Order: sequence, then structure tokens, then C-alpha cells
Amino acid sequence: MSNIIGIVNYGIAGNIHSIKKAIEAAGGKTLVINKPKQFNKVDKLVLPGVGSFKDAMQELENNGFIEPLKDNKKPILGICLGMQILATVGFEYGTTNGLGLIKAEVRPMLVNAKVPHVGFNTIDVVNDNELLYGLEGEEYYFMHSYEVINYTDIAALTKYNNHSFVSSIRKGSIYGVQFHPEKSREAGIKLFKNFINLQGVG
Amino acid sequence: MTVRIIVKLDIKPPYVVKPVHFEGLRKMGDPSELAKKYYDQGADELVYIDIVSSLYQRNIIFDEIEKTANELFIPFSVGGAVRSIDDFSKLFHIGADKVAINTYAVQENPDIIDNAAKIFGNQAVVVNIEAKKWGDYWECYTDCGRMQSGKNVLEWAKEVEDRGAGEILLQSVDSDGRNRGFDLELCKKVVELVGIPVVVSSGAGSLEDIKKVIEYAKPSGVAIASLLHYDKNTIKDIKDYLRKNNIEVSK
Repeated sequence: MSNIIGIVNYGIAGNIHSIKKAIEAAGGKTLVINKPKQFNKVDKLVLPGVGSFKDAMQELENNGFIEPLKDNKKPILGICLGMQILATVGFEYGTTNGLGLIKAEVRPMLVNAKVPHVGFNTIDVVNDNELLYGLEGEEYYFMHSYEVINYTDIAALTKYNNHSFVSSIRKGSIYGVQFHPEKSREAGIKLFKNFINLQGVG
Repeated sequence: MTVRIIVKLDIKPPYVVKPVHFEGLRKMGDPSELAKKYYDQGADELVYIDIVSSLYQRNIIFDEIEKTANELFIPFSVGGAVRSIDDFSKLFHIGADKVAINTYAVQENPDIIDNAAKIFGNQAVVVNIEAKKWGDYWECYTDCGRMQSGKNVLEWAKEVEDRGAGEILLQSVDSDGRNRGFDLELCKKVVELVGIPVVVSSGAGSLEDIKKVIEYAKPSGVAIASLLHYDKNTIKDIKDYLRKNNIEVSK
């Protein structure tokens, strides 16, 4: 396998550059994907996301990415908003359907503390998998106001002022992290190494 | 939750400088080299503020910012002379994770906060407040502590939260660069008033000053400049000291 990681660029301003840099620091090869037909040039996908759930879905649609992502069988890693839009539905600026790859909802964080939740926080791996292998207790950088509500595909939880929320999900070859590995020093590079080494279909 | 230990680079392109009371600039070094140094020391985040471009009405100098961003695998906020949605967009594209705005929002068009938050998400929009104390209240200053605005800091802090800002960077014109401690009352009042994270800056002259402001005002982060630039302490010194005092910080 050539093992090229495609970073889906669907027109939102964002962290494509940081993610590319971090994957390359982890020893991976990357291709920024601007059109769905480029999917056949890569082996794995990273779905970034900065902004609102609604805008992200709109931009995916404008760029023709929705159906190809729903049909995709390659391992995929959603980061931050990129994990949230894997869900069925989101409630940011109204109600918007997500990609529906994970049975989940995205709602405002219900926590008695400052929101957005910003800063380094620890992940508690509750269902070990290849992506999170060896990363139990590592610290990652979070920056979000919404959280994924899911009951069946939780891979890791994180505590913010006694509120536990889903910080990573996994269903087959679909992975998501609420935090930003590309902004989490060595712990983030390690996660990308795991993604690079991932053997494919789960 | 850990308190973020943030490094603030005040920039007069192409150098990192250290202002005293926001004036009397001293050259401290090259932004990308210092960024790398503090990243290696374990900084949680970096803030890059071009402190002269707004005042001189110059445009943002993107090359220097991109070069600095390239050295980092931690969040990177950029501010100074941000005047349009296009500026926000360009800064995110070259590697900024958050963009800080002050002068334009205060003096000309506060709606830019709402618009930026809608497009880029609340978490990406930081409002930089330069507060100056007058008797029993604080006034917002702009253009690196030179221009008065007539706006009350506490009212403005609440307003920017309502408009969608995701974070406040709180600086004190009186304490900045003097290394005599933070304006504790100012920090506490703003932190308690808003529901969004507040990063306090201006005044860290010793490890104890940092501990004091965290214990008293409970900010989400502390932004530090001279203490580090003069090599009085490293990030590691700061984190070790805070940990010893039962304040949670990242590794």
C-alpha cells in the first residue's frame, strides 16, 4: 500500500496547513484533496473542520463531497468539527444533518465552566483501538463549544470540570477526535503515527 | 482543567520587542527563533501581536507570521492591524489558529466580531483588551496603549462575549512591562463577568506574580513575555513552580 493520507479541503478557512505539517512530521505522505475524484489517489482520509457545523456541511455540499464521504470505505479521521460532522445531526445555528456515519448528535457543551473548552486536557481511553494505542493519559489541545453525544462508539472520554464528554469515537474504520492532534506537541505526532500505521479496514 | 501558560511575542516587524508601558521598545530577537525556543520549553500556546502596524496604519506582514507558525505544533494566535474578514481568512490560511482583534473593533466596527465568529467559529476569535485604570473603572485603549476609546472595559468585555468572541486577551496598560505584578482586580472582575475564557497578561515579574493572579482571578491562561525574554525563567520553571503550589498545568 502506498499509504498516502488525503486531507479533505472543502473550502473552509482552516487548519489544513497545520494538519499537513503534523502528518509529515510523523513521517506520513499527504495529498490535499480539493475534488472528490482525488479520493482514488489516497489510502486514508483526514477530515478537518473549523467553523460551525452548518457552514461545514454547506461547504461539503457545495464542493460535492457529501456522497463520496458517505460511500467512502477508506479509514477516515475526523478532527474537531471534522469529527462532529460525522454525526447524524448538529444543532449549531439551527438543525443541520451531518454525514450520519456515526449515530450521534452534536449539542452545546453542558458544563458549569467557561465555554469554549480551551486548553490541554487528558484523554481517558475507554475502548482501546489502533489509533489511540499507547496514548492513554496523554494530553491534547481542545478548542470547542459543542460536544458529540454518542452511546455506542465511544473510544475516549475527557473530563472538563466534572463533566465527562466524548473526546474520541471509533466505528470500524471511522475515527474521530474532538481535540487537535496537530496542536498537541509530541502526543499529537504520536497519534498521527498511529493513523499512518493503521492497517485499514476495521 | 489545566491553566494555559502562554508566551506573548510583541512584534515590531521583523523583531520581537519588549515595550515598557507599551512604549520604549527593546529588541529581543527573531520571532521564529523565539517561537521555537518557547515551543521546545513546553509553552502551551503562542500569541503573536504586531504592536506597531495598527498605529502606523500599515498592513499585516504575513511572511514573518507564516515563518513563525511553521515552527510550532501548539496553538498560535495572531493579532495586530486586523481590519477585515479577509485579514482573518489570510491569517488562518498561513497557520494562525486564532486571530485577535482590538483597534478596529473598538474604534470603527464592532460588527466584525459577530461576522468573524459566524464564519470561523467563536473559538477562533479573540478580542484583545488594553485596559487603563482611572480611579474606580477601566477604560479600553487601542493602538498599543496610545488611543483612548471612551469604552468601559467591563461593558466592552460583556459586549464582545455577546457578539460571539471565544476568548479575551486582557492586557493592562498600567502594568505592562513593569514586572510588578498583575492588575489583580481587573483580572478577577473580567474573569467573573464573562462565560468565555480569559487570558490575562501584563505584569508577570516573578513566579509568585503568576501564582497570585491564578489563585486570585482564576483565569484560563496567563500570557507571559519579559520574564521569559530576559531568560529570568523558563516555561519549565514556571510550570514546576505552579505544580508545586497545587495549580494544575500541562506537562
